[in-house]
Amino acid sequence: MSAKSNVTRRKFLSTLAIGGSGFIVSFYLPGKVTPSRLLQALPDENPLTLTTASATHLASEGFKPNAYLEIDPQGIVTVQVFRSEMGQGVETALPMILAEELEADWSKIRIVQAPASRDYGDQATGGSVSISGAYSTLRMAGAAARETLIAAAAQTWGVAKDSCYAKNGAVFHSSGKQLSYGELVATASKRPLAEPRLKDAKDFHIIGTRIAQLDGPNFVNGSAIYGLDVRVQGMLYAAVARCPVFGGTVTSFDATKAKASEGVRDVVKIDSGVAVVADSTWNAFKGRDLLEVKWDEGTFAVESSTTIHQKFADLISKEKTKLQPVTGRGVEATYEVPYLAHATMEPMNAVADLRADKFQVWAPTQDRQNAQITAYLAADSKHPVDLHVPLIGGGFGRRMVVDYVEEAVQIAKAVGAPVQVVFSRADDIQHDYYRAASLHYLRADLDAQGKPTAWVHLIASHGVDSSYDLLEGANSLPYKLGSMNVVPLAAQLPVPVGYWRAVYNTQNAFANESFIDQLAAASGQDPYKYRMEIVSDPTMKRVLELAATKAGWGTSLPAGWGRGIACHSTWNATPVAQVAEVSVEPDGKVRVHRVVCAVDCGLAINPDMIEAQMEGGIVFGLSAALKGEITIEQGRVQQSNLSDYAILRMDEAPSVEVYIVPGDGSPTGIGEMPVPPIAPAVANAVFAATGKRIRQLPLRAQAVGMD
Amino acid sequence: MAQIRVTINGKPYTLAASPDTPLLWVLRDTLNLTGTKYSCGMGLCGACTVHVEGEAVRSCIVPISALADKKITTIEGLSPDGSHPLQRAWLAQSVSQCGYCQPGQIMTAAALLAKNAHPTDTDIDAAMAGTLCRCGTYQRIRRAIHDAADKGGAK
Repeated sequence: MSAKSNVTRRKFLSTLAIGGSGFIVSFYLPGKVTPSRLLQALPDENPLTLTTASATHLASEGFKPNAYLEIDPQGIVTVQVFRSEMGQGVETALPMILAEELEADWSKIRIVQAPASRDYGDQATGGSVSISGAYSTLRMAGAAARETLIAAAAQTWGVAKDSCYAKNGAVFHSSGKQLSYGELVATASKRPLAEPRLKDAKDFHIIGTRIAQLDGPNFVNGSAIYGLDVRVQGMLYAAVARCPVFGGTVTSFDATKAKASEGVRDVVKIDSGVAVVADSTWNAFKGRDLLEVKWDEGTFAVESSTTIHQKFADLISKEKTKLQPVTGRGVEATYEVPYLAHATMEPMNAVADLRADKFQVWAPTQDRQNAQITAYLAADSKHPVDLHVPLIGGGFGRRMVVDYVEEAVQIAKAVGAPVQVVFSRADDIQHDYYRAASLHYLRADLDAQGKPTAWVHLIASHGVDSSYDLLEGANSLPYKLGSMNVVPLAAQLPVPVGYWRAVYNTQNAFANESFIDQLAAASGQDPYKYRMEIVSDPTMKRVLELAATKAGWGTSLPAGWGRGIACHSTWNATPVAQVAEVSVEPDGKVRVHRVVCAVDCGLAINPDMIEAQMEGGIVFGLSAALKGEITIEQGRVQQSNLSDYAILRMDEAPSVEVYIVPGDGSPTGIGEMPVPPIAPAVANAVFAATGKRIRQLPLRAQAVGMD
Repeated sequence: MAQIRVTINGKPYTLAASPDTPLLWVLRDTLNLTGTKYSCGMGLCGACTVHVEGEAVRSCIVPISALADKKITTIEGLSPDGSHPLQRAWLAQSVSQCGYCQPGQIMTAAALLAKNAHPTDTDIDAAMAGTLCRCGTYQRIRRAIHDAADKGGAK
């Protein structure tokens, strides 16, 4: 690679690793190796580096200017999608950016999931930074390729490069001559890479349009291949018995009945439990039902949601004694939210095939680099691993953890055959990496006008990576709050917690925005007007106003209805304001009818996808606000299916209107951003309808009942 | 081991599996028809919906023993080429996000439209409420069903 592209790559690496919002995607549980650290430790000759994108380039005479795209003599542009597609649309939006600067014919774009490779920096798909992090680099990559193709045409015609321009997959000369990209690949691939000249945003004709998902047709005809659909010749299926109590281990097991069950081929011990391996998924599940395991449940077996709550409450009580007294009128409140499961529609799974010299793993994962390294280490730390990422049936942060990869490889190694490990729905709910439960104490000092002069927020929970996680969305608010004292109080608990769409922004936005609403009420002020008076961030002010205006804030509603407003900028990247209209029955049943959402994401790459993410994220957040709760009793999760861990249904879903603030410049993040505001918007609407303040989620009819 | 004769998407099959095996797993693991999805395994979510003699049925809870000589249609057989009005409407309305639940959504909606060519929102709620979508595409699903119905979509 030329020195120039090395500079580009270094800059790109730093851009991707940090992300447009400044959020560094850090990796999970202490003790697990993080890929970025490991990538630095490995020597360049390590077999892992063989699986770089350069290893996949076309054998034929294509033009491959960089790791992102290659053009064949037919003009087909193959784009390496280096982030995981889980419904958020990256596999379409990232190519849109590339195609724009490339001046590609969109109908000639084809996508493949890129391998795990250092060429792409950090490929972990989380934090809503795929587009913001790659925007500049993809533009440069596309523009450099375009300029090289123009230069190739100029060379072919013997004319000045300035007299040529590219449009829609071809290069034109002022005389009317034209050559398609396909016709130019041979010449272009022999030329040095040209300087990228970026387009003017006013000339964009792909970016900013409502292009349909590239896999759309495959979603509606059953041909889309998700992780669970991967089939390898000779593949067996495995169901793993894992200790139901967090932190417990296997003492012994009796596989006699399991092995005698139809279709069962083997029963093997792995790190996470005991795997029953069979010739079909059904037979693996049935065989596992007959497996007898003695567990050492460990010390967590006595814990429950109640004891966890008490730990949190004790941390807060202790910290409260350190607070300075209030200087004026004080308002205080406690808010609490439960553990939440991800409940992706496709349960966790992975396939490992260790038969050839290069091991193959298929994992619907959000972190392919960590998956590849984990597979490499779990296998034999010798054979290179090709990590394939099929389509993902929902991620929401769960698939940042690669436990399913480790299991698949360990089982495949033990049985000497390719294996698909399948989590049943119960496995998926009971062996999640949950959104952490948390308890919040808030206190504000109010001046004579009812405006805050001091803000205290004590947050008791436990962190994914560290106690600092608890501060996400809590220590940088768009309001004038006077002095801020935000304290993370992290308990040590073996309940596995992980990234759940927007992570601690979800707990904290519920607490913050409910409390701001409470301050407004304490001051006798309208909650929208109150926010507009204390907001300090003009971009948040703008979305508040847009949402309130479009929602008709202040206009009348039927009896028993209420409007609530809330706002939050997840990772401080993207201000979002939402207004919810709800009705409350006399028995306390809450129905959300309408949500108006205003979002400022800078440049909108694909407005349809932004709207879809806002609509879907609101429904996702509503499931948490109204229904979702993971409870723990005797150290184990009590829920086991979508019956007792319910998600929103179509007949419960509100109509959602999305207003995107027109923006230029660069795109910010979208995927997680709609989630944090909806729970407080609904809780605040319930308050408006009933005078009852909701301090605990999920919303319970008893808390609201207007008897 | 039972030998159950069925027709799937117009083709005859003899299903050889133990009679209590749910149709879902024979489709996915034996016949490699993976368009029909596993999600809850208890008939709660609709991701596994197929048509048996034209009725929407949750294949994860139907044992093959109940299917002798029945005509089964899966998402792969709903149309030969993606041309079912619902499939077209799904694309026109950009319904899918991750797409995993959508075969079940489409099969459920197709059974609805076959019986009720112009469903109201209440009809749609009743027919579709049990078909879950974690990505939250409900409002677009509703729009797509109306779109397909408006275009004469009961096929």
